[in-house]
Amino acid sequence: MLLMSKARTNEEWLDELRASGAVQEAAIVDLRNLLLRAVLFFFSRNLGDFGGLARDEILQKAEDGAQEALVAVMNHLSDFRGDSKFTTWAYKFAVNHALMAARRERWKDVSFDQLSYSDDDTLSEWMRWDKSAGLAPDQSAMQGEVGEIIREVIEHDLTDKQRTVLIMMVFHEVPMDEVVRRLNANRNAIYKMLHDARRKLKSGLQARGFEVGETIALFSAPG
Amino acid sequence: MERSRFENWLRNIYETQDEEISCTECFDLVSHFVELEAAGENAAAKMPQLKQHLEQCRACHDEYETLRDLRRLEDEGGAPSLDDLQDLIR
Repeated sequence: MLLMSKARTNEEWLDELRASGAVQEAAIVDLRNLLLRAVLFFFSRNLGDFGGLARDEILQKAEDGAQEALVAVMNHLSDFRGDSKFTTWAYKFAVNHALMAARRERWKDVSFDQLSYSDDDTLSEWMRWDKSAGLAPDQSAMQGEVGEIIREVIEHDLTDKQRTVLIMMVFHEVPMDEVVRRLNANRNAIYKMLHDARRKLKSGLQARGFEVGETIALFSAPG
Repeated sequence: MERSRFENWLRNIYETQDEEISCTECFDLVSHFVELEAAGENAAAKMPQLKQHLEQCRACHDEYETLRDLRRLEDEGGAPSLDDLQDLIR
């Protein structure tokens, strides 16, 4: 049961969370309820991630997420610049914890080998719609050439880590935080690996004369 | 693999910039972005690097969408209560 929390300005939130005694306590209770609501809001939109869990277990994960978010918010109060509502700023921490918990639950039983699996046929398999009927021969040939360039860049120009991250996230659609957890990294590092891989793919395509409009059109045509 | 997903991936490749902001920078800035949108401003024009990151990073984009929708519901007075949300969990 949520009691109606007091409406506060940004300044009141900061002052009361930094106060002591009953004032701080009341602000923390209200903040925790708001963070729990944000976690549950995310969970309620991503229930598919919790397929195997009972309701009580999901609610407990929400409580845990709210508590972790509360600690994070309290530790980062000095980072709040006042360029948004305080609650929107605080919700970021709750939503971040909620997303990580949900994705972790969804992927927990999948092995690393399954997530990073790739062989020579992976890209061909991945692009097999390529062979769909109705394409003019020259269009089909150009699609094949794009596929070949992508394959070459992935095989020869990416580092092992870039290739692994790309295969996991693009081919197998593994979420960022699960890749982070499996590779014992952080979001920034994984994002950078994908960014570098995209840069190499872009250069590879452009070096062979495939500019953006033409290439997109090649693949967005009905086929 | 659906063709549309491959097409989106190709777009992501071509929209790659030499310099892109990190997930940490995105996290730091996204509440301001949501605030600008809530105020009816052109957040994407004011914060193009953040917008670009959101288009490239699914995790950050999912978080952004949740923040945006929470903010919108609160503004409209329609944010679900804790009880309502707990009831939604099977």
